[in-house]
Amino acid sequence: MVEGNGAVSLILVSHSAEIASGLAEMAGQIAGPAVRIVAAGGAVDGSLGTDGGRVLEALRASAHGAGAVVLVDLGSSVLSVRAAINELTPEELEHLSVADAPLVEGAIAAAVAASTGCSHAEAARAAEEARSVAKL
Amino acid sequence: MSPSSDVRVERAVCLPAGVALHARPAGSFVRAASVFASEIFVSANGRRANAKSILDILSLGAEGGVELVIDASGPDAAEAADSLAMLVPALA
Repeated sequence: MVEGNGAVSLILVSHSAEIASGLAEMAGQIAGPAVRIVAAGGAVDGSLGTDGGRVLEALRASAHGAGAVVLVDLGSSVLSVRAAINELTPEELEHLSVADAPLVEGAIAAAVAASTGCSHAEAARAAEEARSVAKL
Repeated sequence: MSPSSDVRVERAVCLPAGVALHARPAGSFVRAASVFASEIFVSANGRRANAKSILDILSLGAEGGVELVIDASGPDAAEAADSLAMLVPALA
């Protein structure tokens, strides 16, 4: 069960600010307003890349209550999430799940799961099931 | 568990004209299905999707006016099928 108030949040980490914010908008429309979605895309100056500081800030800010599922696109997004995790306390980490899932489908699945009031671990599992759902 | 726990209930219902089972309506449908313990499937266009999986539901490509067949199996199958069959015409 979910501890604390509110639904599980989503944190979207992408090399592209536009991908992260566009996906946040799309997943938010499907899941409804109860699910908070944080877009952490792009480098510090808004160019393509990842901003480790912003990723850490996003994870830390959600590491309480119902917690959050973290979704990543590729390569250094994964590395920046790993680096952020190393900075967090074991108590903070209990509120976070990182989903090993495709970003778009995973975010949609996790957002809808979160809107049903599930735990962050269950929302991450919903995202990971996206790998086995046929698109065509 | 009561002896009725294996009941299977089917309901056919049409999507409102102009309301596809995409985006917000699909999310509402999956959220509504997720509160039931029964296994619930939706068929449309010759495909069958798990009603509790948003990605499965989106893959149906069910456009407005299309007939959905909802089938539920489990302890609350009748309640699930009835409740979803009532929800579909109200999707917007």
